[in-house]
Amino acid sequence: MTELIPLAACLLIAFGVGSNDTSNALGICIGAGIIKLRRALFLFGFFVLAGILLQGQKVMKTVGKGLVDTNLTILSVALTVSALLIILSNWKRLPLSTHQVIIGSLTGSGVASGADVNLLSLVEIVLSWIISPVVAFLLSYSLYRLMEKTISKLSLFNIEKILRRLLLAGGILVSYNTGANELATVLGPVIYSGLSGEMQASLLGSLFVFLGAFILSSRVIETIGKGITVLDPYSGFAAQFGAGSCVLLFTFFGMPVSTTYCVIGGISGVGMLKGMKTVQTSLIKKIIANWVIAPVSAFLICYFVTLAVKRFF
Amino acid sequence: MRKEDVLFEKVLFGGKPEQKVIDNIRNHIRILYSACELFKDALLKHDKALMLSITDLEREGDIVRREIVSNIYEGAFLPFLRPSICRFVEIVDEAVDSIEDAAIGYGSYNLNLDKPTEEDCLRIADLNIKICEMLSIAFETLFSKEDLREKSLVIRIYEKKVDEIKFEVLGKLRETEINNFWDGKILSDFISSLTRVSDIIEDASDYLYIVNVSLR
Repeated sequence: MTELIPLAACLLIAFGVGSNDTSNALGICIGAGIIKLRRALFLFGFFVLAGILLQGQKVMKTVGKGLVDTNLTILSVALTVSALLIILSNWKRLPLSTHQVIIGSLTGSGVASGADVNLLSLVEIVLSWIISPVVAFLLSYSLYRLMEKTISKLSLFNIEKILRRLLLAGGILVSYNTGANELATVLGPVIYSGLSGEMQASLLGSLFVFLGAFILSSRVIETIGKGITVLDPYSGFAAQFGAGSCVLLFTFFGMPVSTTYCVIGGISGVGMLKGMKTVQTSLIKKIIANWVIAPVSAFLICYFVTLAVKRFF
Repeated sequence: MRKEDVLFEKVLFGGKPEQKVIDNIRNHIRILYSACELFKDALLKHDKALMLSITDLEREGDIVRREIVSNIYEGAFLPFLRPSICRFVEIVDEAVDSIEDAAIGYGSYNLNLDKPTEEDCLRIADLNIKICEMLSIAFETLFSKEDLREKSLVIRIYEKKVDEIKFEVLGKLRETEINNFWDGKILSDFISSLTRVSDIIEDASDYLYIVNVSLR
């Protein structure tokens, strides 16, 4: 019966990913009226499933096998605390990265249990968190420059037509990454600890992502939709596609990286081209602080909770 | 477009509201052009009934404008373009309204123009037709790589010519004896409505320019 705890926590996180990340992926397209909400939700669900089935294995292995030698206690504590932190952050509208919370929790719980923690793997993951926004910055910067030299030369209505398709392509890429990277991070530990088969977990995880998107995402998307009425589609696409390509690149190497932080890198890259004044440095400082606080707090909470569990059970 | 492309477009994007808007904008500019042409024709023939038929075109223009705005509201085009396209359509509609005002002034209030003023008005009416034609060409530039600035410049030159004629007419009218207030007011309103058309079309062309650069 206790095996059900990490499984339930995993599905809860998948549900949270669905409710939160549909807006990351297709919020711009829905807000811009490129695609209707219902169509977008099915498209999102389809590409999340495609992502985890086609390319989720490497990230699953890094998080589930390469990082911590897990057992039932570690998984139960780490995934339950992660689920609670993610739900709390969604509720309080704090931008927490699912990857950072899960990695921090697994490591904290692993250290407290005295399990083998692969330091090299941990360093690689943390380095990829530092490098990925920089790569996204460069990709978005280059993409924006390329668009200025190519698409900008076309006639207005051709530009509009192309941008609509490109924005949708960017949304699909982020949806695919949600499956191949984010959901893979969530499911990796339960798959590699033998609590569930890969196919079974992938299907169930994707279903819960879809349910989260279907039940809860419309409110978040509506907010984004209203806020982007004057969004510059060039910048929006360059930032999103640059970030999406960056996450895909790291997925090839099996590194769990956050789409949100890559999008921030992408937006800063595009912002640089439009002048440093457009980049809100105070916001970036807050994000960096959050970037440090999220994994560290997850680590500490799981560390102490695991110690408590070991002492009392 | 291939059948598969149409199907793909319909399944993924839910049809093509943009094409509807584009077709309707073309139709709207065509209505403005027809109204200007009809105005010149009616003035030439001194046909007041024909002149008043411009009000039908104005009503048609209103219907087209409402359809364009509702298509845009339903999600045609990227949000970044929508306000400028809406404003452009509204300005074209103002031009149709202005030519209708001149037509009503002429057709309903028994306005009698002396020969020189009538000739000047015909010159203005002729220039209005040319400006409409150029606005239509300028709109088509949004589908090609041609330079919109040249077309805007031509519109500005036409507008300047209309202005020159307007000042000439006003100069002449100042020397004309007016027997009662209302005759004078109707004549003055007629001239201002007729000359305002080119001003408004110039504004529309400026908005086309804004639309054109907004996505670059």
